[in-house]
Amino acid sequence: MIKNYLKTAWRNLISKKFYSAINIIGLTIGLAVGLLILIWVKDELSYDRFNTKIDQIYKVNASIGTGASRQVWGNVSAPVAFHALKDVPGVINAVRIIQNYNYSTFRYKDKILRENGNNLAFVDDSFFKMFDFKLLKGNINKPFINDQSVIITERTAKRYFGSVDPVGKTLMADSKDPYTVSGVIADFPGNSSITGNMLFSIDRKRKEYDGKDYWKAMDEDWGNYFAQTFLQIKANESTKAIGEKLTRIHFKYQKSKSSDGVFQLQPMADIHLYNPDGSAAGIQTVKVFSIVAILILIIACINYVNLSTARAMLRSKEVSIRKIIGADRKQLFIQFIIETALCFTIALLLAFILIYISMPLYNKIAGKQMHFDLFSANVWQVVALTVIATLVASSIYPALLLSSFKPISALKGKISGAGNASFRKALVVCQFAFSIGLIIGTIIINKQLNYIHTKQLGYDKEHVFALSMHNMRDHYTAIKAQLLTHPEVLSVTASDNSIINSSSNTGDTDWDGKDPNTTLLISPFEIDKDFLPMFKVQFIAGRNFTASKSDTANFILNETAVKITGIKNPLGKRFKLHSLDGTIIGVVKDFHFASLKETIKPLIFSYRPTGDQMFIKTSGKNATAAIKLADNFWKQYNSNFPYEYTFLDDTYNAMYKTDQQTGILFDIFAGIAIFISCLGLFGLATYTAQVKVKEIGIRKVLGASVANITAMLSKDFLVLVIIAFAIASPIAWYMMSKWLMGYAYRAQLHWWIIGVAGFAAILIAFLTISFQSIKAALANPVKSLRSE
Amino acid sequence: MLSLKNISKYHKAGSLKTTILNNINLDVDAGEFVSIMGPSGSGKSSLLNIIGMLDEPSEGYQYFLNEPVHQLKEKQRSALYKKNIGFVFQAYHLIDELNVYENIETPLLYQDVKAAERKALVADMLDRFQIVGKKDLFPSQLSGGQQQLVGIARALIVTPKLLLADEPTGNLNSKQGDEIMELFSKLNKEGMTIIQVTHSEKNAAYGSRIINLLDGTIESSKNI
Repeated sequence: MIKNYLKTAWRNLISKKFYSAINIIGLTIGLAVGLLILIWVKDELSYDRFNTKIDQIYKVNASIGTGASRQVWGNVSAPVAFHALKDVPGVINAVRIIQNYNYSTFRYKDKILRENGNNLAFVDDSFFKMFDFKLLKGNINKPFINDQSVIITERTAKRYFGSVDPVGKTLMADSKDPYTVSGVIADFPGNSSITGNMLFSIDRKRKEYDGKDYWKAMDEDWGNYFAQTFLQIKANESTKAIGEKLTRIHFKYQKSKSSDGVFQLQPMADIHLYNPDGSAAGIQTVKVFSIVAILILIIACINYVNLSTARAMLRSKEVSIRKIIGADRKQLFIQFIIETALCFTIALLLAFILIYISMPLYNKIAGKQMHFDLFSANVWQVVALTVIATLVASSIYPALLLSSFKPISALKGKISGAGNASFRKALVVCQFAFSIGLIIGTIIINKQLNYIHTKQLGYDKEHVFALSMHNMRDHYTAIKAQLLTHPEVLSVTASDNSIINSSSNTGDTDWDGKDPNTTLLISPFEIDKDFLPMFKVQFIAGRNFTASKSDTANFILNETAVKITGIKNPLGKRFKLHSLDGTIIGVVKDFHFASLKETIKPLIFSYRPTGDQMFIKTSGKNATAAIKLADNFWKQYNSNFPYEYTFLDDTYNAMYKTDQQTGILFDIFAGIAIFISCLGLFGLATYTAQVKVKEIGIRKVLGASVANITAMLSKDFLVLVIIAFAIASPIAWYMMSKWLMGYAYRAQLHWWIIGVAGFAAILIAFLTISFQSIKAALANPVKSLRSE
Repeated sequence: MLSLKNISKYHKAGSLKTTILNNINLDVDAGEFVSIMGPSGSGKSSLLNIIGMLDEPSEGYQYFLNEPVHQLKEKQRSALYKKNIGFVFQAYHLIDELNVYENIETPLLYQDVKAAERKALVADMLDRFQIVGKKDLFPSQLSGGQQQLVGIARALIVTPKLLLADEPTGNLNSKQGDEIMELFSKLNKEGMTIIQVTHSEKNAAYGSRIINLLDGTIESSKNI
């Protein structure tokens, strides 16, 4: 029996090639895209979960400041872990991860390779026990033999040593410090928040404290928040209580304001998708994409349901005959379920192929290394869920409908089609509402990305490239003077901070009239006198640094800093940064020195022409020559470092890379949703033209023009698209306004966006329908009327 | 075999009542070959559908093999006709996606007949109608007469007690039509009860009784 059903189903697919193709293409694309998105979502949700102790591991975050300037930092000071382990019951283990920015190159024999400081870290020995990163070579109980030991990842080992066993070999850091490889760790998984190439013993960091500075030892340094700190907590311990206890310990050892350094614990499982302050980070995209995946699957299913119920009308004859010659409703029901299942199986196989083919491209766009492994349980979980849900949704209704015909009336062509025609219409509305929603979303996302791209930042970063000076630092003034003799170099300046995305903050400030209970977090920039003119930062009061001796005790603030501190007539007023008591000599207009997702924060410039970042301004056509000039000096002073420079425009774009990726993915998804919807509409229009062939014939005989007929056939569908538009636009508008709230500076939303989306949808729908309508209208009425 | 008492059928559309059948009384005995005649719209097909239990009368009593059909539920009614009645249509109504063999086999599938038995039954039927050579062809590859032969073979495969034919020769040329009528006549002689609707005096004459319908009532009934 099943064999017979399969045979009929197969022949049905073959004989109705047009419908089958539309159905299968729609389903294939829907399933493939839906699965791709869900694989992405699953990957996002899988971050750090490979750690078996994840439920017990928490990251310590620190709340600094009060009110508007309150921030939550993901790093804390080093003593937190020390005291957590010693003084807080319930803490089983503690790991600190401190970035090591001391070196930028490593050498083994002749091979010199560059390492980014973000991939180098000092870690506690417990690192290898708390997390599930596998130590392939080395002693887990004593991973670092001494403070000159280093543990490297497999990939790093291969880069430096090839196939030679790296253990015991020496890596020369920046040609001065030798480190002996004491172990090899498996590469960090793609879905790990903790990554890196080399791990150093925290004892090495400890040695940087010589007891002569303000902070005598690392475990007493409460002032520098540089340690990513993870605690393993006993089950059922209150994380809140532990956070409070740590805060109390902090204030016991360091007399500071009660608002700075309030510790709170964040589950490790959350760190990838939530910010340290608990606000949504990646989780928002995860949610949006999950919704998009579901919408696309629903759209594909609706297609199937629509087409098969529409076609049911054409198949009513077959169904009636089957009933008359003895088929039960149950048997017919099974037949149609099997047909759907067959369609799905084919679509699923094609979808798998499509996923395989598009995976590399998808990974490139998404910036991930996801794998599609047919034998992985994960994939099948996603597949099973998707397929069962879609199968149920798209098979039961058509099957029920098809098996419910009254045989004799169906045979005569009299089918009560009115009821399910409106059902189909509702589905089309639903489909187009989703599609229009996605179009509006796409337009707004693109508009915002474009806004960021072209936003007046308040400074000029055109044709400026930056480099780290290393040894050139000591000769900065001379190099600068020589560079400026060349016409290719327009300006040279130095700073300790990036103007694109300032990374440091301090609360160590004072001024007259400051409320002792508040903390002002301010971004300090140490610059030379040419910094502000070169970036064309505008002054609203006072003057720039002049490189005079007294300038070392002068400060320039931005507008926001003046506003938040509440200093009236700031010029000439006292301001204290760290231990330096100085005078405010200028105020600059606010400019964006961080991501546009954040509002402009307070900023302070001080005159210290010794920062490590050198900025060189050139012009478009002289850029290559200017880079070459800088390279000459680099070779002279930094021969042990590979030459490295970045244009600020690139740095700026990199900051919004994730947003750009999201934007591109969204574009693709919206396009696909529209495509599948149109495929369904096309099928339905074809069906309508078929059903109305007689009516069209009669109308033509009576003198209707092609335009009349096309209008008649298109009108009904266009009304549906317009209804969909009316439903979708306010909802999409509302949701996108919420999305935009994530940006402190956002593109203006104009009503024309909705107009464009609606017009586009209607136009696409009209083109889709009119193809069939015109074809039907052009047909010879004699043929269509000569039936039976 | 079957008996209709005071059967009426009408449609209501708003306040307009259209009568299709009006107070029909008809008894058919086993072994009869009845031809129903009448002009278009006289209610021939409606009467046949009611006899075949594909349609319900608006009023009246109906018995089939001594079962009171008017009292049966939908499910029981369909079980009754599936077992006992074979249908033959003017437009053949074969399933386009199935070949000749499969078309004839399908009713057996729905009755859960075992594969081996199905094979034997279908082979018999193909043999009897001399269409063995056509068993792998699809309906679209057959002439009208051949399609109707398959239609009849399909109707007979479940050995019904009554064969209902709605203008079985309506779409055929006269030669094909004659062949089909000869076949009906032969079947009737072998004991099959047949009721056919026809326009043609000549075809009606193959039967043992002719009933003339006009505007939903029986105008005349004569035995040949």
